[in-house]
Amino acid sequence: MKALAGRYVDLAIWLGLATLPYWIGAAGGYTSLGTRVVVMALAATALNFLLGFTGVLSFGHAAYFGLGAYGAGMTIKYLVPSTGLGILVGVAAGTAAAAIVGALIARLRGVYFAMVTIAFGQVFYFIAFRWNAVTGGDDGLSGWRRLPIDLGFGSIDILGNDQAFYYLTLAGFAVAVAVMAALLRSPFGRSLLAIRENERRARFLGIPVEQHIWLSFVVSCFFVSLAGALYALLNNFADPHDLRWDQSGDFVIMAVLGGMRTFWGPLVGAAIFVVLQDYLSTLTDNWMSLIGVFFILVVMFFPRGVLGMLRRRKATS
Amino acid sequence: MSLLQVDNVSRQFGSLVAVQGVSMSVAAGELRAVIGPNGAGKTTLFNLISGFFPPTSGRMTFDGRDVTRLPPHRRVAIGIARTFQITEVFPDLTVAENLRIAVEAAAGYRLRPWLSQRAAREVRDRVDALLELGSLGAKADRPIAELPHGDQRATEIMMALALRPRLLLLDEPTAGMGDQETYDITRLVRRLHQDRELSIVLIEHDMRVIFHLADRILVLAEGKVLAEGTPAEIAADERVQAAYLGKAA
Amino acid sequence: MTQLFLFNVFNGLIIGAFYALMALGLSLILNLSGVINFAHGGFLAVGGYLAYTLMPFIGFWGALAVAPLLTALIGLLVEFVLIRRLYGRDPLYSLLLTFGLAFILEDGTRYIWGAATVPFDIPDWMTTALSDQFFFLTGYRLFMVLLVFAAVAALFLLLNKTRLGLRIRAGSGDLETVSALGVNVRVLRNLNFGLGIYMAGLAGVLAAGMLGLQPTIGSALIMPSFIAIIVGGLGSLPGTLLGGLLIGVASGVVTVFFPSASEAVIYVMMGVVLLVRPRGLLGEEGRVQ
Repeated sequence: MKALAGRYVDLAIWLGLATLPYWIGAAGGYTSLGTRVVVMALAATALNFLLGFTGVLSFGHAAYFGLGAYGAGMTIKYLVPSTGLGILVGVAAGTAAAAIVGALIARLRGVYFAMVTIAFGQVFYFIAFRWNAVTGGDDGLSGWRRLPIDLGFGSIDILGNDQAFYYLTLAGFAVAVAVMAALLRSPFGRSLLAIRENERRARFLGIPVEQHIWLSFVVSCFFVSLAGALYALLNNFADPHDLRWDQSGDFVIMAVLGGMRTFWGPLVGAAIFVVLQDYLSTLTDNWMSLIGVFFILVVMFFPRGVLGMLRRRKATS
Repeated sequence: MSLLQVDNVSRQFGSLVAVQGVSMSVAAGELRAVIGPNGAGKTTLFNLISGFFPPTSGRMTFDGRDVTRLPPHRRVAIGIARTFQITEVFPDLTVAENLRIAVEAAAGYRLRPWLSQRAAREVRDRVDALLELGSLGAKADRPIAELPHGDQRATEIMMALALRPRLLLLDEPTAGMGDQETYDITRLVRRLHQDRELSIVLIEHDMRVIFHLADRILVLAEGKVLAEGTPAEIAADERVQAAYLGKAA
Repeated sequence: MTQLFLFNVFNGLIIGAFYALMALGLSLILNLSGVINFAHGGFLAVGGYLAYTLMPFIGFWGALAVAPLLTALIGLLVEFVLIRRLYGRDPLYSLLLTFGLAFILEDGTRYIWGAATVPFDIPDWMTTALSDQFFFLTGYRLFMVLLVFAAVAALFLLLNKTRLGLRIRAGSGDLETVSALGVNVRVLRNLNFGLGIYMAGLAGVLAAGMLGLQPTIGSALIMPSFIAIIVGGLGSLPGTLLGGLLIGVASGVVTVFFPSASEAVIYVMMGVVLLVRPRGLLGEEGRVQ
């Protein structure tokens, strides 16, 4: 019964996403806003793989998101004008950095882990900020754009056609989400859950906790850097802000807002957050304060997130 | 032939010596009880044997192999499993899910992104067998946090058994339990020992349980070995009576 | 060369003293309450701007005395209204809350005082160099270092000699026991938070005199403070002080040889410490796990 209801929810979500370009205009949005929701949802879902399903507090995920973005942008700008290769390099850069940083921090726990991830997150921000000649420094990396994807027998124009790029992003999202869902249902995913639930017990069941946290971190950052690469392609621009601590905070609040103990929570959180941010920034220059107030309200009143609350209500009724 | 050999092991925390020069030899198939007043170093000794932290000095072998500095997960792999004084389970998950994680870890599947049909069926069968052994079948799909303490404890012991240990370390399995629950757990431990010839080291306060179960008893006091012997010998030992039994009574 | 070297080492020392002052406040709060106060940099900016606003009325010295106290008062209020509700919950929530606060403080200072850098006037006699040979050694810089050290000494005196300080230290080790001994933990945490914020405010006034004021001043200084704590060792205030000075001087020395690597070096130091000694130089064993 429960599984059946879950399947209906899945179906509704996929239907909604697949038809998004056709209804978002009527709902007062625009297609590239939808693309941004999907990209952010991918990043937040990837973060939540670590946060919600391994129980590890990372506040530095913007670093890998930004590496994905800069990796893609710099490849296209300086190396090869190929969208596919750009994505590949971006993901490789983010994942490689995560593998190194992850090895340094897998022994740490709790607040201390969070603090070190924040600090490491800023390394890449400083590099992007300082290495002016190559990264464009504070102004960001511009002067490049996403290119049609050549399939051999024809090409998809993702530049001029917002809708085509939306579907490319959605395809990336679908594959990534399917892989993460499958991992979470596997013995590996259950080992991660075991660590979240009770690290000591997991260790004395023979699970090498540090190794698993490292793996979870790398998997999570792999998908976050994919999101970053797609984000740069969406904007035809890589912003040093993508690497900064406040972006990391945004990812965490999306996961928490939607419900970090649920699989679809980060998607819901990302949708609310992105739309709200878009709306607020047209309304006032001080939207940053309002976002700050929003953070506080979520923490105080919705710590379980939207889906967490819905699930609880259903359980008690 | 001794299965576990502890040689002159000590552990210090700052200036506190929690365990000092303890030696112990546990034979294969033996059920050994460790007793002693609070603060005697019983749990510290367990933590040393299971690899929670390494000893400050001394040496431990398991089945002839030096395990003194082996990390916990490697000790599990060679057959040392434990339970904790305060029950350690996965609270948000069901009883069956708790057991399933243990079974998969034991089978070496912990890194597998997927399982074959056959492997998945084997895991299921093993979980079912453990549910039955622990008399938990009716509660398999309940979140474990909702269950009474006795059931949680039984699940924890089944999780340890899922690892197919050759040595099972039980830290006060009947702590905080009523008479019926104590009786059930005692019966379970005896069955594991007698029917399956499992080697068990048991920390326990309940003297009824100890004298009912143990082959030999190790008495610790202030981090040192005070006495060692059969239950009859320990019961007759004057030092033990003075230091421990007298105080407890 | 010697002069350049000395200049940069001294500069590093100043910066390091700054980091240490910030990081000590962060450490106090983290050790007793388990909260990473991400808004610490925001409070620093508030301290600086308050001093800027007060100065025309009460002068530099008055502002130096009053602004940190006002900042601490805001801190007490924030703890009382918001942060204390999150003690005992997953640290995720307090961290998110202070993230939100950091946004509000940065944006709020921008709203009130503007985005542009505002000059911060210090007494004239402090701006002149003390000697021709050591041109960099202005009275203000010397004063700053001395004041930071005085503040740090006062802090350690407070922690070691007063009842409040002893309770803070005892509570950082074992809060339950302190609570069982009849200490009002809520009040203790509140005052401790205020003390930490006071130090942020003081750092803000001092920083303003050297760097001028802009809304992002806090978020630029907070990362090195984190690193000071990590390098120095979690749970150890002397470690935090050492960590702050060490990374400051290191970045000063590196500036002599590779100016562009002055920021990178502190991250490298953090990486090395985590690799070799994850608990930090003076950190307590077991605290990181």
